[in-house]
Amino acid sequence: MTRATEAAAFFGIIGTLYIALLFQWLPITFSTTFQEFTLPVLPWWALVTFGAYSLGNIGYHVMTFRDCPEAYDELQVQISQAQSDLRSKGISI
Amino acid sequence: MTGQHKYSVLLPTYNERENLPVIIWLLTKTFQENNIDYEIIVIDDNSPDGTLEIAKQLQKLYGENRIVLKPRSGKLGLDMSHHPKFIPEMIRLQQANNLDIVTGTRYAGNGGVYGWDLKRKVISRGANYLATVLLRPGVSDLTGSFRLYRKEVLSTLIASCISKGYVFQMEMMVRARQFQYTIGEVPITFVDRVFGDSKMGAMEIVSYAQGLLKLFVAV
Repeated sequence: MTRATEAAAFFGIIGTLYIALLFQWLPITFSTTFQEFTLPVLPWWALVTFGAYSLGNIGYHVMTFRDCPEAYDELQVQISQAQSDLRSKGISI
Repeated sequence: MTGQHKYSVLLPTYNERENLPVIIWLLTKTFQENNIDYEIIVIDDNSPDGTLEIAKQLQKLYGENRIVLKPRSGKLGLDMSHHPKFIPEMIRLQQANNLDIVTGTRYAGNGGVYGWDLKRKVISRGANYLATVLLRPGVSDLTGSFRLYRKEVLSTLIASCISKGYVFQMEMMVRARQFQYTIGEVPITFVDRVFGDSKMGAMEIVSYAQGLLKLFVAV
């Protein structure tokens, strides 16, 4: 199964279940508050939650993305070492 | 430390006469210090700047068993963003857990980048997050190109991959998971382009998104 079919299957099942609950096709009874106020906005809640999680995730990882100046300094030193060593061995650089 | 195994480094080059000698010098130093049996395969794409000529000089210096020249087309670039010092660590992890692939990651542990502004970091992180959500590859750095493969694993993957460039690197990981290869990760530092200009632009981002969607549907 490709990732796309997996996603389609997932959203298909969740979607069907949601619609069945929303239109009360199943012999399950919720409180009036849940049935009339919570259920209709549940998809939007899920969407906003996912969006917030995504932004939080990216933001956190950008914030903690490490700069590594020590790696740069080390490389600069090694580059000049390499160049002088190679020049002394007759490589034309 | 490596027993009877031999490690090949693949270096795709295009106009890299400045970078190539330094990289080969660093690689050789790393391998010698760690007693690793190695060969460096320089895959040059007809560079007009004489990359091949300098590669030949290096071949004379280090030996034909160490430096192998394979002219070929592909227009891939090599730079000094990835330091060879992480290779022994990757080999250790590979051997300890008998892994099929070990990939360097800029995004985990003590990994990191040098020379990236906020915009580049946001794009990179956003792109990687999107790929993680859509493809769930189980590795933290999908677009990296600093990786250790078992030879037969690499040939199988190359034969089954259909995309190019950045997307190719992602596809390798996603296919690897599909084939149930074992993958390990080593945190690496990424120092952006010491010489020369970065080759990433707006077109890269568009083709990245297209490639991602293609993989989402295909793998």
